[in-house]
Amino acid sequence: MAFFAELRRRNVFKVALLFAIASWLVVWLLEGARESVHLPVWTETFVYVVIALGFPLALLFAWTYEITPAGLKKAVDVDQTQSLVFKTGQKLNAAVSVLLVLGVLAIVGERLLPTFEFLVPGVPEGEAPIATTTPPEIRSLTLDNGLKIIVWPDHDIPNVVMYTFVRAGSRNEYPGITGVSHFFEHMMFLGTEKRAPGEFDTTMEAAGGNNNAYTSSDVTVYLDWFPRSALETVFELEGDRFESLAIVPEVFESERNVVSSERRSVVDNDNFSKLNEQVQATAYVAHPYQFPIIGWPSDIESWAEDDLVNYYRTYYAPNNRTVVVTGDVTPEEIFELAEEYFAPALAQESPPPIRMVEPEQLGPRRLVVEASAQTPMLHLAFHAASAAAPETLSMKLLLNILVGGESSRLHQLFVEKEGLAISVDGYQDEGFDPGLAYFYLTLPPGGDPAELERRMLNELTRVAEEGVTDAELNKARNIVLAGFWRELATIDGKASALGNYAVFHGNYEKLFRLPVDIEAITTEDLRAIAAQVFRVNNMTAGVLRAPDAEDPQ
Amino acid sequence: MIRRCRLALAFVAVLSAGTSLAQGVTLPEVRQVELDNGAVFILHEKRDVPLIAAEVTLRGGAVSDPEGRAGLASLFAGLLEKGAGDRDAASFAEAVAAVGGSLSAAAELEAITISADFMARDADLMVELLVDMLQRPALAATEMKKLRSRRIDLIRAAKDNGTLRLVSTYGNAFLFGGHAYGTPVDGSEASLAKISHREVQAYYDDYVGADRLVISIVGDFDAGAMADKLSEAFASWRAAKAPLPELESPLPESGRRVLLVDKPGATQSYFWIGNVGVGRGYAQRAELDIANTLFGGRFTSLLMKELRTKAGLTYGAYSSLRRPTKAGSVAILSDTRTESTVEAIDMSLELLAKMRDEGFTEELITSGKNYILGLYAPRLETSAQLAAQFAALQTHGLDASYVNDYGAAVAGAASESIQSVIMSVYPSPDNLVFVVLGDAERIREDLARYGPITEMAITDPSFRP
Repeated sequence: MAFFAELRRRNVFKVALLFAIASWLVVWLLEGARESVHLPVWTETFVYVVIALGFPLALLFAWTYEITPAGLKKAVDVDQTQSLVFKTGQKLNAAVSVLLVLGVLAIVGERLLPTFEFLVPGVPEGEAPIATTTPPEIRSLTLDNGLKIIVWPDHDIPNVVMYTFVRAGSRNEYPGITGVSHFFEHMMFLGTEKRAPGEFDTTMEAAGGNNNAYTSSDVTVYLDWFPRSALETVFELEGDRFESLAIVPEVFESERNVVSSERRSVVDNDNFSKLNEQVQATAYVAHPYQFPIIGWPSDIESWAEDDLVNYYRTYYAPNNRTVVVTGDVTPEEIFELAEEYFAPALAQESPPPIRMVEPEQLGPRRLVVEASAQTPMLHLAFHAASAAAPETLSMKLLLNILVGGESSRLHQLFVEKEGLAISVDGYQDEGFDPGLAYFYLTLPPGGDPAELERRMLNELTRVAEEGVTDAELNKARNIVLAGFWRELATIDGKASALGNYAVFHGNYEKLFRLPVDIEAITTEDLRAIAAQVFRVNNMTAGVLRAPDAEDPQ
Repeated sequence: MIRRCRLALAFVAVLSAGTSLAQGVTLPEVRQVELDNGAVFILHEKRDVPLIAAEVTLRGGAVSDPEGRAGLASLFAGLLEKGAGDRDAASFAEAVAAVGGSLSAAAELEAITISADFMARDADLMVELLVDMLQRPALAATEMKKLRSRRIDLIRAAKDNGTLRLVSTYGNAFLFGGHAYGTPVDGSEASLAKISHREVQAYYDDYVGADRLVISIVGDFDAGAMADKLSEAFASWRAAKAPLPELESPLPESGRRVLLVDKPGATQSYFWIGNVGVGRGYAQRAELDIANTLFGGRFTSLLMKELRTKAGLTYGAYSSLRRPTKAGSVAILSDTRTESTVEAIDMSLELLAKMRDEGFTEELITSGKNYILGLYAPRLETSAQLAAQFAALQTHGLDASYVNDYGAAVAGAASESIQSVIMSVYPSPDNLVFVVLGDAERIREDLARYGPITEMAITDPSFRP
């Protein structure tokens, strides 16, 4: 007991308390600063090491030395009757109190001013700060089973978004099972070994969450939007359905009808989709990108249970998935939840690679779809590049110049000046393998699709020969840059952008180089990509018109 | 870091112990300026991304379309994008796109809205364009004729593609008949064809002016400077000449009637089944939203669960509430394959009766409340969303409590009041107006069971028989 009394007398406890509170304040300030001042990543580690080493040293110092009027002296050398430890102790008490008050004020202040922001120096007023580096608060982790998790904390609203990317789409299908990827998207909501069909949605919605999913040629993506309070519920639900899905025959048959209904509603009864499906099927002779995502009707009628079981095992394995979480969370809590709910799933052998490369197209392909239509349509598709190919960003800018909005070249020419079309639009696939660049035109009743195709080819050839102007390129850059900011304005957009870059470009850091990458693209790059892609021998042209219309040339 | 967070969380938990969880959304304080001529500006700084969003509203909208001229307000709004100030249509569009901005004008039932979203560095240009659109629109005759003919063609294109939106247009037109709430907001092929350039110019003089203007701006800008700038630009602007129409509140219908819109060869039938409902200011909005969420407003709703999940009849089944100033409409909306048209409609009617007879369990009501509250914050996340919310509140004479008190009202809604709201807002299955769009030859006879049928072709240039 004498030892403890001596510890107390020499203020060792008070120093320890003071040190702990001071350290906590430093850590708190550091975290606040990190979000706005962009400290190097090692700063945190450095501060922790200093604190950890400093603690025993401070205690040792308090034990060994005393503050005397003559300066520092070893405690054993000080005459006990002359000791000032009591006064020093009072000073330490005062310091502890001041720091405690500061700490409480900091917490309260943080609660009351949740959007408190540090001013970022060096950005001139009215000038958008260009993000060219990855925000340091984004963190990622790969579990032992191969599942990758990316977290972007954003505390603006008390909500969270989770995107799960599964690397499986119609690209991974073959004749007989077309549409199975999309069907699987439906099955994932229809029960697990411990949950009845529909319970996933009931549980999610009762916790205040909402969800959806989509399937593309390349990936199937599961989306959850929910309040922070539902965080653990959502991890539990997702862990469960990705690990132990139940495939029950009756449920499977009923859902087959839902997908048939979806196909009728979304494709068969919709002229745009009907034409698009035929153009896609014609543009490819070999690559599985030819399959409609929803599947051909005969395959929808005949998928077997085995097809689903094999598919699930291979493609839904953790090593074939990437999870992105954005919103009101910390990376640490997400990693902890992932370890608990996602780590138990076992890694599987990697899915078979898709080796197929679409052979060079040898001449123009043309097709006609007859359908009840007052307004004919013309779709043009050209073989282009994959998401990660550098020329894909050039094509994105070029499509903006040609068909992006009212001021675009082809809208002005065909819709505003000549009235040959009532709408002009475009799109490019951004997948794992080279996809298509599309133009979609709707004609006025009685319009001539053959004439419009000829005029389109003239204009595309003109771009390939003469290129675009500096003003057009600048406009396209601004449109893409503004789109980038609009996407990053929501936690949903953040999750989508991070996930797409992580999956299709191999790393999410590349997303933040977009503002710089678009500056580096030249008018010559755009002319060159036009010359390479917009060739008549590389084109598939589809026309949709009423059955009684004359055959186009 | 973890330690800090846990400490902070513990502190929060102590403060909030004993009260219910924080719920709903509280709108931020805004700077609001009202000019002598009635123009109102609402400004709020938000700097998470370098963007600025504006929402401009003019009270009025499609309800002020003259008889036989449905789509006039909408056509006028479209023309606002076709040149203003010293810019013709092409250079106006170019000015917006050149800086990556977006700017669009549209009519709603009770307002014309202009939505703008620009990068913060282009705030001055955005304001210049908005001021020009309102005070110096070109309204050129050539542009008007081009837009009118394009709008007519786009309605034809929409009819080529079956959509639930289209069947709602037919539904409201058939239910409300000659009342302004039946007006197809974007017009019909027939009504658009009748609109003249002179009528569009007159619309500008009669229905556009400072007395019905609200401009709401949210984003990365200086609110003080913006307030001065807008005040100067609009201080001497004129008022609109014509008063807004005073509308009677529509009354619910008794009995049943059916409109069949024939689309030969259609593989699907689209249906809309409704009656007159309530308006925006309905006192028990929270109770109604809970009921509608549970009936047909989310994936596990009664309609969706039975028609889609259990019966596999459809891809989607919904209940929709249209709530303007006076009583709007309440309707069930779905589509199904032609052969199962009657089965899907019958099931919808049974579910409507079931909801009225049995209501919802306490467990479902709690689930519905959580769902509404849990997903409310993301609806007011971006500058554009906030700007639109501020403008809508001001335009329709509501204050911030409409948003701020909503969370507590939802959380506190009692199941008895939810049930009484269901009985008073959702019609009895005996009193319904049906609109079915599909292949008449294959469904005509079966539909006769629901009531007297009026039939029209989808190619008919009007949305009303």
